[in-house]
Amino acid sequence: MNWIAKARPSGAATAAAPVKPGPAPSSDPSANIRISNSLKEFLWLLSDIPHARILDLGPIWQATVTFFVDKGFRLASEDMLRTWKEFLTDEEERLRNTPVGAEGEKISRSLLADRFLQSNLQYPEASFHGVLAWDLLDYFDVAVIPRVMERIFNILHPGGAMLALFHSRPAPRFQRYRIVDSQRFEVLPAPTLAVHSHVFQNREILDLFAQFRSSKTFVGRDQVREALFLK
Amino acid sequence: MWNKPTGAKPSSQDFNGAVPPPSKPQEMPKSSAPSSSFAPSTPQSMAETVTAHMSKISSGLKIQGEITGSSDLYIDGEAQGKIRLTGSRITVGPNGRVQADIEAREIVVEGSVQGNLKAGERVRLGGSSRVQGMMMAPRIGIDDGARYRGKVEVTRVEMARPTPASEPAIDAEALKPVSVNSDDE
Repeated sequence: MNWIAKARPSGAATAAAPVKPGPAPSSDPSANIRISNSLKEFLWLLSDIPHARILDLGPIWQATVTFFVDKGFRLASEDMLRTWKEFLTDEEERLRNTPVGAEGEKISRSLLADRFLQSNLQYPEASFHGVLAWDLLDYFDVAVIPRVMERIFNILHPGGAMLALFHSRPAPRFQRYRIVDSQRFEVLPAPTLAVHSHVFQNREILDLFAQFRSSKTFVGRDQVREALFLK
Repeated sequence: MWNKPTGAKPSSQDFNGAVPPPSKPQEMPKSSAPSSSFAPSTPQSMAETVTAHMSKISSGLKIQGEITGSSDLYIDGEAQGKIRLTGSRITVGPNGRVQADIEAREIVVEGSVQGNLKAGERVRLGGSSRVQGMMMAPRIGIDDGARYRGKVEVTRVEMARPTPASEPAIDAEALKPVSVNSDDE
């Protein structure tokens, strides 16, 4: 899977005809649909793989399941951010109940990440052809992200693609995403599960995905960066 | 059980798997329209689905072991082990907590399930459900707010022949009651 090597058939349905990404123009201000070239490209890259396996790291939505199932893909879902928050709550509870001075009272973020990954993202190597991370990394503890990225890289199939969004400024509200069609997803305001943790600079993003073979970034009208990485 | 409130009937809308139009954004996902074509489920509507032909594990009851048979089953208590009612419908109520692989004709979850769900006809996750495990069925419906972790496989599922009706829904031999919370009575 390679966007340089892969032949692009002519026609509007291919990824070769980008439109300006970002919020879709609409007369209805409440319409929260986002045109996404990265999603289009992501799907195009997977289109040749029969029964491509996708891991969605956001919450599960009927629309997203139906979309992938209709395309013959196989979907796994794991709401990483929620799981991470629940994990932190459990850890806090555990620490609260630990006697003062007892071993393990203080643990490093790295160890915390290891502990988290012992029960999460537990898939065999090269399990997925595509990973949808949405804006997950913006909300994760920066110290933990490298370990999470390492795991995601391992579970991606060689040639697999990962889609991630990065806000250029702290997101004004917490939101979730679900797929509408092969070029659009819906942005859904949601109760705040986590606060925006970090605004990644382009260099930081490239460093974070240094293991990946290549990347493409689309900047939307709202300055949200949609990034696609190929293993 | 017989005196069902007027208008109470189990949700029977068919799930056609069509992609619904995107709902307008709301402040809280729970208030958003369900994205599946199932009717939105509420704890009350779930409770109303308990019929005369349905066995029930009530809230406060905990059961360990294997459950087999041909009756529909409503679980609002706790169940651990294995549940295999291949010709029947299993409903995990809002208070239900199941740690078991479930095989049934139809599985509806409003509570919590840790285990694989395998249905001959359909699986539906209600808005308050929490499920961890693989989900396999020809039709899958997910309400907004459902929490799920695992693989989704929408496929035709070969189910073993249902157990004859004469057999009890709950295999008393295999069951080992663990605790009964008398406060619940």
